[in-house]
Amino acid sequence: MIRKPHFSARILVYIALTATAIAINLPFFWMIVTSFKPERDVFSIPPKFYPTLFSFKNYIEAFETVPMLRYMVNTLFVSGSVMALQLVFNVLAAYGLSRIRFRGSSIVFALIIGTLMIPEEVTMVPLYLIVRQFGWINSYRALIIPFMAHAFGIFLLRQFFMTIPRELEDAAMIDGCGRFRILWEIILPLSKPALWTMCLYVFLMSWNSYIWPLVAISRDEMQLIQVGLSRFSTSWMTPWSQLMAASSTVIVPVIVFFFFVQKQFIEGITLSGLKE
Amino acid sequence: MCGRDDGKTTRFLVVFLFGGIALASRKAVKDTISAWVAVGPALLVQIIFVYVPLAFAAWVSLHRWNMIRPMRWVGMQNYINLMQDDAFWRSMYLTFIYVIGTVPASIALALLLALLLNVKWIKGMAFFRVMFYIPVITAMAAAAVVWGWLFEPSGGLINYLIGTVGISPKGWLNSPDWAMLALIIVGVWKRIGYNTIFFLAGLQTIPGVYYEAARIDGAGPWKSFFSITLPLLSPTTLFVAILQFIASFRVFVSVSVMTQGGPARTTRVITYFLYENAFIYLRMGYASAIAIVMFVLLFLFTLFQFRASRKRVHYQ
Repeated sequence: MIRKPHFSARILVYIALTATAIAINLPFFWMIVTSFKPERDVFSIPPKFYPTLFSFKNYIEAFETVPMLRYMVNTLFVSGSVMALQLVFNVLAAYGLSRIRFRGSSIVFALIIGTLMIPEEVTMVPLYLIVRQFGWINSYRALIIPFMAHAFGIFLLRQFFMTIPRELEDAAMIDGCGRFRILWEIILPLSKPALWTMCLYVFLMSWNSYIWPLVAISRDEMQLIQVGLSRFSTSWMTPWSQLMAASSTVIVPVIVFFFFVQKQFIEGITLSGLKE
Repeated sequence: MCGRDDGKTTRFLVVFLFGGIALASRKAVKDTISAWVAVGPALLVQIIFVYVPLAFAAWVSLHRWNMIRPMRWVGMQNYINLMQDDAFWRSMYLTFIYVIGTVPASIALALLLALLLNVKWIKGMAFFRVMFYIPVITAMAAAAVVWGWLFEPSGGLINYLIGTVGISPKGWLNSPDWAMLALIIVGVWKRIGYNTIFFLAGLQTIPGVYYEAARIDGAGPWKSFFSITLPLLSPTTLFVAILQFIASFRVFVSVSVMTQGGPARTTRVITYFLYENAFIYLRMGYASAIAIVMFVLLFLFTLFQFRASRKRVHYQ
């Protein structure tokens, strides 16, 4: 048996953990506090550690000065589309790779997983050149079509599908079920947790994406939220309280949502160890 | 007993055998078709939007091209120029500084947090894990905007906080001496929670009896940390180190949002050097050559990672 250490030692560990948790989240605290300050209080010394303006004035102004709403609608549309498409493409690919034996399956698997070794920073230039050739620059197509399928989701689902016992499938086969009916009626109902996890990941990756919209989109009304937000900050005079209000609208919903789904999330990471 | 129905049995066997083969092969053909219908679309997307661009980058890297005039073949000239370009080596050096600044710090802090969280009697472990994980799920671009405000030289929180312990205010993102450190701080902050998850998983594979035995033999907490925890955790540490190394090598978003490679190009890391050449100077051939060099380097790092992760599994 492991003995509990002395009371004071335990308190010390809790203090260390709490202090770290606070320190790590201090930027978010400060972001929210600043977003509720009038412009004159932003630079006050010593800084005020509490909100001084209990209204959404900065939020309203942020949405008025920058097309935040447009960015958000764009991002929601793109993220939703990518998620829906990946749900179809990734499920099919994962199913083919995990439940059907066919010649060349190991090559297909290697090709798909191999894309994880080719980072976005490397492909951004040639992908831009190719998408430009297609005439998709500054369109939703550029933001959606290249991401219709992704190795990470395929890998995640494949790992899950492989844990489903074959006997279930065999029984259905004997009853004369085709491959895709088995997928629809047996595999998918059993895979809801994995599908849910994948959708969360895809949506978050899409919501957080920055590099590709930065290079593929130059027209403001087509821009996504992350690039739009950071453009706002590089203007010559930064209205910090408004900028923090805008940042809060981008960051806080994700954090709140994360609190509800954190279990699936963190388990997904240790399962794969492939992607953040 | 056996001889009586020989003819019938044989006929039955033949029919059964050939019928079986025919059925099986029909099933095999059907399966192959189903499989390709299933994997085909995803594979096609990956080929068109990952492999074709990679091959295209290799092709473009052998040309001079500004997207206005037609491509001109220059052979290996872009690579030769790159190897002789001081700006390239400078960006590699800056990337190296960033890597050295982020990898050990983020690993040490993550290990420390994981050790604290791994204590058996702790309550609310899941809560702390979530708290440490928040920066990981936050978009780097948005987080970098917030950090830009924290690092603001006059009125920013960081300068105020270090002022309370008597350190003079720094210029941070406006200062050639401090901008890189600011980026390193953000990079470490963003990844601690991520690395902690791996260390926690690693720690949980170490059997408790080892510690029990060490305690009976009279080993104190330090002794058992250095002779049990650290050695048994070394595969995890190696794995995390390589993962972090690759992530740090690829740093781009924070640079793009917070410094744009400045001030005075003191934070122009390799990815930003690539970005500038492509999208500001429109030197597509040269930028493609940089991309290919980056790809080769990252490919080698990832091979290391695969070997390390195999080792990790082996140890468990």
